[in-house]
Amino acid sequence: MTDAIDPHALSEEDFHAEVHSFQFWLEAVEGYLAGTEFGFDAGQTDETFTLPELSDLITTLCNYCVAEKTALEASSGMIRFAPSPDAAIFLSTQVADEGRHLEVFVHRLKMLGIEDPWQEIDNRANRSLLQFKDRLLEFVDQQDWEAAIFVQNVLLEAMEFTVFKAHASSADPITSAILAGVVKDERRHMGFGENDLGRKLRQAPHTRTRLNQINKELNPLVLSTFSEIAKELKLNTHQGLSISSNYLATIDRLGFST
Amino acid sequence: MADFLSGYSIQSWLQSCPQGYLENTDFGHPAGEKEPEELLDNETFREDAIRTTVQLVVGERAALAASSGLINAAPDVGSKMFLATQTLDEARHVEIFTQRLLDLGVKKDELESVINTYANANLVKFAEVLLEKVDKQDFIAGVVGQNIVLEGMAFSVFEMMHATNEAANPKFAHTLTGTIADERRHVGFGENRIGSLIKENPKRKPEIQKMQQEMTYHMLATFADSFKANSDVVEQAQDQASPDIKPAVYHGVDLNRADATEMEAVLADTVLGEFKTRLGRIGLEYLSPAA
Repeated sequence: MTDAIDPHALSEEDFHAEVHSFQFWLEAVEGYLAGTEFGFDAGQTDETFTLPELSDLITTLCNYCVAEKTALEASSGMIRFAPSPDAAIFLSTQVADEGRHLEVFVHRLKMLGIEDPWQEIDNRANRSLLQFKDRLLEFVDQQDWEAAIFVQNVLLEAMEFTVFKAHASSADPITSAILAGVVKDERRHMGFGENDLGRKLRQAPHTRTRLNQINKELNPLVLSTFSEIAKELKLNTHQGLSISSNYLATIDRLGFST
Repeated sequence: MADFLSGYSIQSWLQSCPQGYLENTDFGHPAGEKEPEELLDNETFREDAIRTTVQLVVGERAALAASSGLINAAPDVGSKMFLATQTLDEARHVEIFTQRLLDLGVKKDELESVINTYANANLVKFAEVLLEKVDKQDFIAGVVGQNIVLEGMAFSVFEMMHATNEAANPKFAHTLTGTIADERRHVGFGENRIGSLIKENPKRKPEIQKMQQEMTYHMLATFADSFKANSDVVEQAQDQASPDIKPAVYHGVDLNRADATEMEAVLADTVLGEFKTRLGRIGLEYLSPAA
């Protein structure tokens, strides 16, 4: 299908219909998921971890599961009040992506010897991340599209994108391969959020003030989560600050002050 | 339960669907296939195809809202994963049937008004009964309504349409092939997952059976409206068909020779038969709308 279509030659409306479609998603994921099983090449073998390394990796993966389950619940809950059929279809592709992320992280936990991943996730979940989750799901329950898409597709996705990218560069080969695939999805999700909000903000500039307030409210939770993850990933001060500053730069680029 | 749900994982779905029967398709059919000229050039046939396709879009939009809405109500992560794949399947169905409306000449900026004009009021009510349960986050009733009743109806309707279109409209028939494969998976999940929940919650049976009864009423009324609306088209199409046309057999009825009343009867009998079997498997009794 895309052989004949140059997305850049399309009108804005047709462009959105094209990039938000199932067909577009199918072609995108076929590129990087073909031949993988639970996000990595099935032939890959695991490396040996020391006990502290293993424990830290398990805690980090447990928190990735919290974030992905949040994203799954939020994106699925938003379909009913999506502002257009194209947005509903995009969110459906995101639902499948988030479900896949959750599945691959849970599978990784099982590979690392965790027999009951959900019990482990409950035990190791970061409190700030749980508070962030509750706030996002409140916006979804209230069917507040602007706040929900901002918190889900901008803040949460930018948070995941920044951490996963940093972790992928230092992780063991299997975790790194899993994260590389997930990061590609997150980039697509952030693009949708930026695009959707960009148009809304052009039409209703006062929305920015409200979203800025939400950003300021949630920012301490995000930074506290980063700080915990930096400890688990054994990042030095510079690397830890770099995660936070990359995140803040992403949010700033979208015109939200921190 | 865990073992059965592993068969409904996203990994299994990726391998069977996007990397399986949808590989190399374009909106569900091989690239380059088009609607037949005889259909596009005949205003009566084209309008009938638009009316029929609108019902598919309405049904699939309801299925999308229901499957995504049930994710947060699911009591276990395995069910959430399956519903995530179903959400994307339903979105794909919405997309391919919407694309068919565009292929039939509906203009993009007129899509919603065309859908509102042709949407069958009984089908809309059918969807409302289901979505009321979803809004209440009632997982058991929602899955019965969605994966047994709605999907069971869709499965039979798609199979009948596939039989009718296999020779006359390969593009549409191929589009339906993928949706039939999806619906089979959805119905399978409903039967496997809900049986145990019904056993654990026997008091829920009467209320869920009442929902099925109400949905069945609106479904049969939709069939009656639809076949009444296209009885002249069926006659005209059969008059114009080549005398050598191969039979399109669906449950013993040649759809190329049957009139609209016979078609409605065979479809209703098939769907109701399937309902009885599938509801029986999960421990529910089929309630006739006439009761």
